[in-house]
Order: sequence, then structure tokens, then C-alpha cells
Amino acid sequence: MKAIIVILFCRKCRPAKEKGGEMVKKRSFAAVAFVLVMFLLLTVGCSRTKTENAAADQKTELILALGAEPEGGFDPTTGWGRYGSTLFQSTLLKRDNNLKIVNDLATDYMVSDDGLVWTVKIRNDVKFSDGKPLTAADAKYTFETAAKSGSVVDLNNLNNVEAVDDSTVKFILNKPQSTFVNLLVCTGIVPRHAHDKDYGKKPMGSGPYKFVQWDKGQQLIVEVNPLYYGPKPYFTKITFLYLSEDAAMAAANAGKLDMAAIPASFSKQRVAGMTLLPVDSVDNRGILFPYVKSGGKTDKGLAVGNDVTADIAIRKAVNVAINRKALVDGILEGQGTPAYSVCDGLPWWNKDTVVKDNDAAEAKKILNDGGWKDTDGDGMLEKGTLKAQFTLLYPASDKIRQSLAIAVADMLKPFGIIINAEGKSWDDIGKLQHSNAIVFGWGSHTPLEMYSLFSSKMAGIEYFNAGYYSNPAVDAYMDKALAAADENQANEFWKKAQWDGQTGLSARGDAPWAWLVNLKHCYLVKDNLDIGKPKVEPHGEGWPVTDNITEWRWK
Amino acid sequence: MTSILRFVIGKFVRIATLLIALCLFSFLLLRYSPIDPVQAYVGVDMLNVGPEQRAKIAEYWGLNKPPLEQFASWGYAVLHGNFGTSMIFRRPVLAVIGERFAASVALMGTAWLVSGIAGFTLGVIAGMRRNTWVDHLVKWYCYTLASTPTFWLGLLFLMVFAVWLGWFPVGMGVPAGVLAQNVTLADRLQHLILPALTLSVLGVANVALHTRQKLLDVLQSDYALFARARGETGFTLFWRHGLRNVALPAITLQLASFSELFGGAVLAEQVFSYPGLGQTIVEAGLRGDVPLLLGIAIFSALFVFSGNLLADIFYRLIDPRITEEAAV
Repeated sequence: MKAIIVILFCRKCRPAKEKGGEMVKKRSFAAVAFVLVMFLLLTVGCSRTKTENAAADQKTELILALGAEPEGGFDPTTGWGRYGSTLFQSTLLKRDNNLKIVNDLATDYMVSDDGLVWTVKIRNDVKFSDGKPLTAADAKYTFETAAKSGSVVDLNNLNNVEAVDDSTVKFILNKPQSTFVNLLVCTGIVPRHAHDKDYGKKPMGSGPYKFVQWDKGQQLIVEVNPLYYGPKPYFTKITFLYLSEDAAMAAANAGKLDMAAIPASFSKQRVAGMTLLPVDSVDNRGILFPYVKSGGKTDKGLAVGNDVTADIAIRKAVNVAINRKALVDGILEGQGTPAYSVCDGLPWWNKDTVVKDNDAAEAKKILNDGGWKDTDGDGMLEKGTLKAQFTLLYPASDKIRQSLAIAVADMLKPFGIIINAEGKSWDDIGKLQHSNAIVFGWGSHTPLEMYSLFSSKMAGIEYFNAGYYSNPAVDAYMDKALAAADENQANEFWKKAQWDGQTGLSARGDAPWAWLVNLKHCYLVKDNLDIGKPKVEPHGEGWPVTDNITEWRWK
Repeated sequence: MTSILRFVIGKFVRIATLLIALCLFSFLLLRYSPIDPVQAYVGVDMLNVGPEQRAKIAEYWGLNKPPLEQFASWGYAVLHGNFGTSMIFRRPVLAVIGERFAASVALMGTAWLVSGIAGFTLGVIAGMRRNTWVDHLVKWYCYTLASTPTFWLGLLFLMVFAVWLGWFPVGMGVPAGVLAQNVTLADRLQHLILPALTLSVLGVANVALHTRQKLLDVLQSDYALFARARGETGFTLFWRHGLRNVALPAITLQLASFSELFGGAVLAEQVFSYPGLGQTIVEAGLRGDVPLLLGIAIFSALFVFSGNLLADIFYRLIDPRITEEAAV
């Protein structure tokens, strides 16, 4: 606050110095008066917030600012609720706080041996908030509508949905897909009788909360659904404000919010009556290496491959040489954790993928064994005629990725690996991503992501396996994982794909990536508000934290 | 009569050609911008949406057709009053614009009126009291504000008046958590004051400085000298000889500021989370929502054009010489 007063002071005074003497006097007087007033205001402001907190204890209403508004509305058939709570609707299955799959509407689900037929039994005591019962026909309708909507809900593998009877729904797939379970987890069931084109503006469902009002661009007001079949939420009314980062911070400072999502850069600021809650996430950042030797071309004519990063010694050396802890402390203000894979902490994560980092001796040994030596004494390693240097690209608009790229380049320089960090637009990165190392960020509550990033079938498609990584053993594990009957079985294969003791897609194995950090998502929470145990969050901050909103209460 | 007819036809041709050129240009700009609309639409869902689904999204929104065909079908629909459906809002473009503009209108209107009246008054006072402390104060104020960015002043107001003093709410157009039927006019006004004040305070500078300068010119003219010689001073002098002369530039500036009003509102709305067209323009642009962006482009062009048209009409009312010259 004080810094801003000083800035203001300078802005207004600067022109005065260039002009006549009389004016200088008048203006300095004005400036001094202004500063005095500001300090007065500051002290008034501080004493005021204290009195407001005392009254907050008993109320059963919450006011939250958790980031951006879903402009498309609250219709699950066009993508609402894919992260965090669907709030108004309930889903067939859900993930508990440890990300294990548990029943929501479902009482049971089975997958046929060939993995093609998913049969879900649903509860028969569930009513929509208008009192009409929820049946299998509503589930069928929901998935059929979503498949046709041309939205982010990807149901291309769904051949057919059948409502066998009122409490049984059958999904028939084109090919086995264990990750299909995610669609059952994140697709809220809409009422067939009350779903039309305006549904997204005034949703209705069987979820814990009922839609009350949506002031576009401003706020969403919901109240508890008395017909909800699950445990009653403590808070009877919740208001979600759609504020910009600065406005959310201002509102928190003014004592108007019970919780706010803030960027990590604000995390050092103290707000009276609120506590900073950093939540772990798999919102990760890492370096993708081109995996193959140069010379190839995509169908669009883009260059593929890089001779330096195609050498496993380079990729492994980078992985063990980086000091991930230093990156977290220095760049993320401590609001993060070291990253070792694309899915740290998720149920399909293999703990063995953690490598010892900041290990100079090991890095040097790897490089030496790999045949990299500085023969001409220029500080850069060589292997034959090949010099150990490559370009590392990052999106120029992203400060965190820029800092990571530059820091990594600095960390590798003493080893004789020269990295040129360069900022580009996403458009340019799209063209250069197959032949240069890139700072990417991923993180999702589905293992499908691992498949997308490391399967040889996804090589060169969109931003997925941009480095053309390919390992038949890994492919085989991932195909088995996809074809597995249930997620637990699939997870074992996902873990093996990362590291099976011999090979894998992690830094222990082929090291096609050097994962750097997982961001923590920062929230300011009222001192006495208990939001339970937040899940490890996916890429993107804000709404995911509402996932267990029915468990929130005052301490 | 003919002069009025010619005036009207001329204006009509001008706006028609302007709109056609504007649409084509905006469409081409978007088309060749690095934004991939499908990618922008998919957003953080990047990895859950496979290539097949991307193709479906493109097909659903007609993004897979050749650019010329897209533009032609869009143009054809617009001529029939159908502006298409916004990708991000999944609603008709006209409905989105209408809704958002309704919210912006109060803000822009208030700011426009207050800044116009205050600016003109300050300019007149400064001009009449040249080189006194009042004049210096007005000039100092205007020079400072002319170089102040809207969002910065907005943040400052927010911090002082909303956070520290707690006089005003920190954002939005209505109180948090209050149902629509319980929102009073007083609530709305209270939420309007801070953003409107930000815009007004900044809008003053231009009009005030121009009015002051013009008034100085007028006061140095022969007829003002002659009036002074007859013993006219102060308010009488201004009323008889100044007002009409200085009104013209003020009105020109004020009506031409329709465009700045749009730009200023974008920033003020962002800072105060005020629901309006401003937030919508930013979203549409960043996420490559072609129908919405083109719709807003047409709408804002008409808005600015009507400002200029009003200025032309006012000229004729205030200074009859303009009409006569056209007729000669």
C-alpha cells in the first residue's frame, strides 16, 4: 500500500519541478496533504475490518470469488462441470478426496469382459429439484445430447446408449476404453423433460444445490436443494462472484469474501481475517524433448527431430542436473512442488519415477558415459562434430515459463550443455515444437493425458506427443491400460508404462521429458472456514476446489 | 430541402460502405490472426478433446468451410437479420450484445454526461479567469489526467473508496448474493458511482482544455474587444459572444468521444467487474469468437457513427452558417 502512495506522489510532482517556483510550493503542499490523508485512510481501513469478522461466525451463507465465469452456461451436455463440482446436477460416478472412483447416482457398474459394454445401475430414489424422478432415460438422453453438441465433451467412442429399465443404463463403445469412466465422472445428468436450448442459463438437476440467479458477468447465486439425496450441505446459500484477480483481491481486503482464488504472485500479501491456503495440483510445467534424430518431416512439412536431444545421455543429464527445489522457491515464491512426472500424486502415478535431482556428479557421469566431452575447451561438450546445444522455446506471454526456461539454461551451463531460451507465440511453437525443446504445462484427472503425450499413435497430433516419443513396450502397457476393464486394473498398467523396472516413459526410463514443477493453486480462505481436504487439482485454478463443497462448514 | 436530402443520402451511403468494408476487414484480420478458434474454444480441455472431436467442433460451427464461403454465408444471414450464434456464450449474438449493452448504457451515459458538462464548465471558468489560480488548477488537473491510464485510476479509486473507506462496493453492478427482485435502484446507483466517476474524471480533460483554448481565442477577437469597449464583462460577455462559439468544438469532441467511451468502458468494466460490453469484447477477441466479434464491430461502428451524425446535426442547429454554406 505504501509503495502505491509513493508512486502517486511522484506522478503528481514530477511536472512541477520543471516549472516556476510558486507552483512548486503549492503542489508540494497538496502532495503532503494527500499523503497525510492516505495514511489516515489506511489506519481507518485496518480498524474497520476487525469488527466485521466477529459477525461472520453463525451465518450459513458464503460469498466466494473463484475465478472465471462459465460463459457457455451450466449445461453438462456442452461441457459444464468437467472440472470440479457440477453443483446443480449429479453424476453417475464421482472421485473422492483421494481421487478414487466412488458411486454418486450409480449403485454399481460393470464392464463386460471385452470392455465394450458398460452397464450402470442407478439409484431409484433420486428426484430432480422439481420433484420428478431421475431415471435411466435421463442418463441416456444426457449422453446422446452431449454426443451431438459439437462441444468439448468427446464421446466419439460411444456407439450407443440404452436405457434397459428405469434404473439400468448401458453404454456400448466402439473399442475398449478404461478412461471412459471419466465421462461418467464428469457428465452431470440433465432432466429430459426440462432440457431445452435455454437450459444452460437456468439449469435444473438433482445436485446438492439449486439454481437461483445468474447475473451475467457478475455473480451466480445458488441455494441448497431440499430434495438432494446425499448428505445435506451446511451452507444453505452460496454466491459465486466473477471478479478479476485485482477486484477479488480488493474485495478480500474489504472483508467481503469468504474465499478467493488468487494468483501465486499475490500470495505474499496478507489479508486480515483470511489465511492463505495453497492447494497441491498436477498443474505442471516441464520440458519436452524432441526424441528422434533430425531429418524427418511431418505431413505439413514441419521439421521433426533434434540430434542433441535425441541422445538419451543429454535428456537424463538435464533431468538429474536441475535443482527443482530451487525453481519452486525462486520462481513460484515457494507455491509449488518439484515435478517428476505428468501425474505426480494421482492414483495412476508410479512413485518410482522420482529421480534424485541437483546431482552434479551423476549428471557428469551420465554425460561422460554417453561420450560427451569438451575436447576443444570452449566450455561446451561435444560428441564427434555434434555440439551439446539446443533451443528451448516457451510462450512469450507466460512469465513463469519464461523464468523456468532461463533458470534451467543457467543450471545446465556449468555442465557444458548450452540452452538458448527463446520466447515465441503459441502459433510459432506449433510449428517448431517437433524439432525444439518446449516448456509445456499439463495436468489432468484422467490418465488419458499420459496416453496423449506418450503414445506413438499420438506423435505429431496437435500439441500432444510433439517430440515423436515412441517405445513399443510403453505403447503396449498403455494399450493394455486403455483396454482394461476397470480403473484399478488400468492403473497398474499406467504405472508400468512409466517404469516397469527396465524401461518406461519417465525420467528413470527414456526421459522424453524433464518435468520441472507442479504449481500450487493459492486461495485466501476466511480463518474459520473449513473446506475439508481439497483434492490434488488439475490444470487451471478456481472452480476445481468446489469439488467437495458439500463438506464445507465453519470450524 | 434538397440540402437536407443530400445530407441524409450522403450519410446513408457513407455508413453502408463503411460497414461493408469494416466487416470484410475484421473478418480477414480474424481469419489471418494466429488464433485457432477451435483451440480457443477448447481452452484448458486440450487433452480431453481428441482430434475427431476437434473436427466435429469445427464442423458444428462451420469453421471447416473455405473462408470466402464462411463470410458469404455469414453476410447473407446478417442481411436477413440473423447475426449468428456466439461460440463462447452459445447464444444468439444479438441477444448477447443487447444484454451487455443494456448494462453498459447506464455507465457510459452517466460518464459521458458528467464529463461533458464538467469539462465544458471547467474549460469556460479557466478561460474566463485566465492566469489566475483557478486556471492553473484546472490546467494542472487536466494535464495530469490526460496522461493517466483508465485502469490505473480505476484501481486507485477502488483501493481508496472501496477497500480503505468502504463507501462503495468493490465491484459488480448489483450487491453480492441479493436476489434480482430485492435489488433497489439505490443499490444500482451505488454500484455505478465508482466506475462512472473513473470514466468521468478522465473524460473531463479533453473537453476542458479545448474549450479553454477556444474561449481564449474568442476573447482576443475583435468582436470581443468591441463588446468589452461597450462595457460588457464577465458572464454577460460570455453569454452573448462566447457560448455559441465555444460550444461547437466542445460538442464535436464530446460526440466524437463515443469511441473513447467504448475503450474507456472496456478498461473500467474490467477493473470494477462491471457487467458490460467491455468484458464481452475482450473475451470475443481473445477466443476467436468470429460471429460475436463481427457483431460487436458492426454495433460499435454504428454507435460511433451515430455520435458523429449527432454532431453534424447539432452544428446545423447551433451555427446556421453551416447549412447556408452547403446550400450555396
